Amino acid sequence: MTDQSHLRPVATTDDPVRVARRLLRSTAIWVDPMSFRPFTSESYAQDDRPEAWRDVLAAVGLRPAAVHAFDGHATASHRQTAGVALTRMAAGAQGIAPLVQTNEDLPIALMPLEDGMVLKSGHGHRIVPVGHLVLLPRSGDWSIVFQRDMRAIVLAVTSEALHGRLSGKPRLGEPRVVPPGGFADVFARLLDATARTLDNLGDAEWNAIALSLVDLLLTLAHQLAASAPDAGSSATQAALLHRICQTIERRLDDPDLAPARVAQAEGISERYLQKLFETVGDNFTHYVRERRLQRAWADLSNPAEAHRSISEIAYAYGFGDSAHFSRAFRHRFGLPPREFRQQEAERATSQHGVPGQRGWPQEALAQLRAHPPGADARGSAACAGTIAPSTGERSHHHLPVEASRVHWGYFSRSLAPQIEIASGDTITIETLTQHASDDPELMIAGDAGAESVFGWTAARKNVDRRGAGPMDASVFGRGAGEGFGVHICTGPVAVKDAQPGDVLEVRILDIVPRASRHPTHAGRVFGSSVAAWWGYHYSEFLGGPKPREVVTIYEIFDDEQMPHARALYSYRWAPQTDPFGVAHPTYDYPGIPVAPGTVKRRHAVLDGIRIPLRPHFGVIAVAPREVDFVDSVPPSYFGGNLDNWRLGKGSTVYLPVSVPGALLSVGDPHATQGDGELSGTAIECSMTGTFEVILHKKADLAGRPFADLSYPLIETETDWVLTGFSHPNYLAEFGAQGQSEVYAKSSLDLAMKDAFRKMRRFLMNVKGLSEDEAIALMSAAVDFGVTQVVDGNWGVHAIVSKRLFQDAI
Amino acid sequence: MKHFTLPVSPKTVHWGYFSKKVAPALTLRSGDRATIETLTHHANDDYERMIQGDPGAESVFQWTREHKAVARRGSGPVEGPFIRGAGEGIGVHLLTGPVAIEGAEPGDILEVRILDVRPRPSCSACHAGRCFGSNVAANWGFHYHDLIEEPKPREVVTIFELDTSGEPYAKAVYNYVWTPQTDPDGIVHPTIDYPGVRVDHATIRKRENILTSVKVPARLHFGTMGLAPSEADFVSSIPPSYTGGNIDDWRIGKGARMFYPVAVPGAYFSVGDPHAAQGDSELGGTAIETSLTGDFEFILHKKADLAGTHLEGLDHPMLETDQAWSFYGFTYPNYLTALGADAQTEIANHSSLDQAMRDAFRKLRRFLMTVHHLSEDEAISLLSVGADFGVTQVVDANWGVHGTLRKNIFRCD
Repeated sequence: MTDQSHLRPVATTDDPVRVARRLLRSTAIWVDPMSFRPFTSESYAQDDRPEAWRDVLAAVGLRPAAVHAFDGHATASHRQTAGVALTRMAAGAQGIAPLVQTNEDLPIALMPLEDGMVLKSGHGHRIVPVGHLVLLPRSGDWSIVFQRDMRAIVLAVTSEALHGRLSGKPRLGEPRVVPPGGFADVFARLLDATARTLDNLGDAEWNAIALSLVDLLLTLAHQLAASAPDAGSSATQAALLHRICQTIERRLDDPDLAPARVAQAEGISERYLQKLFETVGDNFTHYVRERRLQRAWADLSNPAEAHRSISEIAYAYGFGDSAHFSRAFRHRFGLPPREFRQQEAERATSQHGVPGQRGWPQEALAQLRAHPPGADARGSAACAGTIAPSTGERSHHHLPVEASRVHWGYFSRSLAPQIEIASGDTITIETLTQHASDDPELMIAGDAGAESVFGWTAARKNVDRRGAGPMDASVFGRGAGEGFGVHICTGPVAVKDAQPGDVLEVRILDIVPRASRHPTHAGRVFGSSVAAWWGYHYSEFLGGPKPREVVTIYEIFDDEQMPHARALYSYRWAPQTDPFGVAHPTYDYPGIPVAPGTVKRRHAVLDGIRIPLRPHFGVIAVAPREVDFVDSVPPSYFGGNLDNWRLGKGSTVYLPVSVPGALLSVGDPHATQGDGELSGTAIECSMTGTFEVILHKKADLAGRPFADLSYPLIETETDWVLTGFSHPNYLAEFGAQGQSEVYAKSSLDLAMKDAFRKMRRFLMNVKGLSEDEAIALMSAAVDFGVTQVVDGNWGVHAIVSKRLFQDAI
Repeated sequence: MKHFTLPVSPKTVHWGYFSKKVAPALTLRSGDRATIETLTHHANDDYERMIQGDPGAESVFQWTREHKAVARRGSGPVEGPFIRGAGEGIGVHLLTGPVAIEGAEPGDILEVRILDVRPRPSCSACHAGRCFGSNVAANWGFHYHDLIEEPKPREVVTIFELDTSGEPYAKAVYNYVWTPQTDPDGIVHPTIDYPGVRVDHATIRKRENILTSVKVPARLHFGTMGLAPSEADFVSSIPPSYTGGNIDDWRIGKGARMFYPVAVPGAYFSVGDPHAAQGDSELGGTAIETSLTGDFEFILHKKADLAGTHLEGLDHPMLETDQAWSFYGFTYPNYLTALGADAQTEIANHSSLDQAMRDAFRKLRRFLMTVHHLSEDEAISLLSVGADFGVTQVVDANWGVHGTLRKNIFRCD
């Protein structure tokens, strides 16, 4: 019998002591520290991370393996109660091994998520696929290697949890892999569901679940200990077949993949090969076809791959003819590939229940195949623009805006640079707002650069890809790129000698608005602000029609006393049909020219109101390393859509370089914005910026304020501004799910935590304070504010005034 | 117009709660002024610097085995046996008042203007004339479960000195890690769980030379100011709510005008929780807690006169300064009605900035639509391009996000 008295509700009583005890128990202000512990490597200086990560692993009986140790970005949620510890971890490639402890304890249960892993033990190497449980002895000569990212749930139970029960300790001499199904499935699902809600479970709930987990683990371990291990020739055959399947997996793209060639590669006869397949009730041709269709199926629901069209995917799996592929796919899965992709997207959107989630639909995501940065297109990319003369002098460059000089709605490490500049050079970069099409007459007409970028007729669309989505728009049908990312970015600009680990300093020397070139309006400056479906307000309108999107066109006045913006007119979005004939019921794709006759303009809006200007660039980014095409909307460690108005003239942003050349892009110009960017946009207004770009080599960073930088750091004349996000590196944290999950899981509470951790690190590492000093100072003198609540990855910034340190040596 | 003075004494303070049941310490009329002394409830973190020799402070903090001058501290039980002490520390702030306003009725708005704020110098022989404060990184701080250095967890008290000779600033003097303290009634306080327990400096280890090159610019203000709520007789002073209270916004200092909805007859205004400086978020759980004295002016706006003014429809606290309007969003705008019988402690299990942001958005939208007669579409556009949202605090159970509108937006030719 287990004592479960802690689960019983407290009886209502008038006894004052009982009342007080009840009150005290229910207050989180003074309860014991919760058993939940979050971990993020962001809290630690680079040098301290391996040690901190070692602690996380040790809490579940693991340690880093001697080879493949790890020091990159990592997060974990950990919760424990007497003798039971459960951790969900996400980190980069690495190896782990048992922390040698007493052999008394129950085996560790580990389950890989999203990607498989390699289990090395006395029986050789084994690939453990996603969702398979592994029971690991507490000691012994085994290790696990996560070749891509490490995403796993680990349950570690010690005998303390058994409370002296005579269960008999199941002993596993070797690690055991348990495929999903039956009892193991129940266990795995409970592990997964628990790990997802670790931070929300009440103490009583968690304790009850922990008891169940112990029981399930015991039962499974006993089952395994009782079953005899495989032996003899069947094991050899199984190993060979496994190796053959691996070979097939690697060559699925080869249209000429034939049994004879595979058999030859393995040094066996074709007849024996077929026999091996017969032992598992299959045959070679069927197996290959099935694997190709399964992989295509996965890719069609995987955005990280799906920037490619359906026929590209078919080709990648050895289908030379897309009509043939379509028939085969339909025969196997009951739906043609295009319908399947759309259905998945819609199902995911409706299931998820988050109204108006931007970006990739959830659940339509499968696994991510990461290409190492620089291994593909980047390596051979030639500069499309002029190469700066290498005179050794500091040069000034100019990057005008036109269709061939922008990338729209995404960042990519594979883009050919427009120009290469040297550290210390200055560069003037023209940028366009993607909202210029809200009033093409005021903001596009007569402007050759803008006309080139926005140029779109029934026959021709100058910038086809807008967003990181598939070019054939097979997810939602909005248009090429699907509008998964919206900002017109000018660039990228390569910086000579920039390498991952360096820091790029971008000084904003000047910002000049881009005046209208339409004959009637020439010289005046206009901008647009859209209260859009991704706005914070969208779920709760007071008046009808509900919901609605509203575009407000502003004029910008460079008034000497107070430069300001005033509203000219507004209109409610009405369904627009783009030049290719696609209807857009909402503002779901950027750059659709709004025809004046289709909307009803309302004048005299915001009468008598002047909004002071804060000219800045919403987007300043270097290319991320994780994936090829990254949605431009969620900001992250590489900068991007920071939407912080403090990035104006005279300010500097420091960005961590992730790919060779850094690949700097600028866009999303704003005339002004409030902290929060509540409706979804600022006053979006085309502007031209002049920047000084300075490269700080990794070796020279020690002692600088931007040493050990893992996020965009802003410096203004008076302050340091640190950028916190709900998910500081959402691409690494969520892996393949990143570009969708980040929209679903954003919260100011998480962003506040991140801002706190970054500021603590800054004060400790840069200013040399102890943790206690840093926290006292944060309470007394650091201001936390809301950056934005509309960009998927919500932001909270932390501002510390330089005045605090003016006496420092 | 009359000018009153309200010094601190056991008879003019109530500790850890707002209450419509406490007899007013002062009654005045709309238009009157008052100089009100306030004490920080953290003064006992360094008795010598912040209490010793100060008759007001000594009288309020007096606590021996035989006599506890202010017994009730918090809205919890007042009948023993106690876990922590009378009132159980459910609410911690030393509040001066209440000040009753003649003729104030539910539905009215009370405007409180802060005319001046001054620090309260030490009276101790060794430190006379100098001003001190205490900052505590406490168990209710945002950082507490997320520490990276050992020992974990820990509470740390940092004593600051406030220099007002020029541009005022605070400088750290020393800090110490909290050790279990035994109060005069014999109850041990392993963490900071009850206000006003004198820290025995023989039990702690002072660390000097901390924050050596750091000057914290002063932002003198009152963390807690507000009116008695109507929902309960004794209401914890920790969570801020619709009648104000522990808002912890450093902008509520000299020159500020606060507007509060009156919930009970007489309004019952109280003030305390004086701060020398605080950042937006009050991350570690407290500001630099320093005893202050303020000059206040009180103006009652009757319910019938509110239509057509900027107070129309106001049912929450609002700040006006020379430059801006600020509105306070909370996790629950009125947690007392939202969370039922155990609201005063239950609120701590629901803390969320996300809900506070939503509340702030709604309050600003209402203001722009009601007071400035904007359409909803105009209001939302303006909020995106002209309003700034910031984190007020993440340590007072009912977390806060404030939204600010600069006045120059509305000034037009």
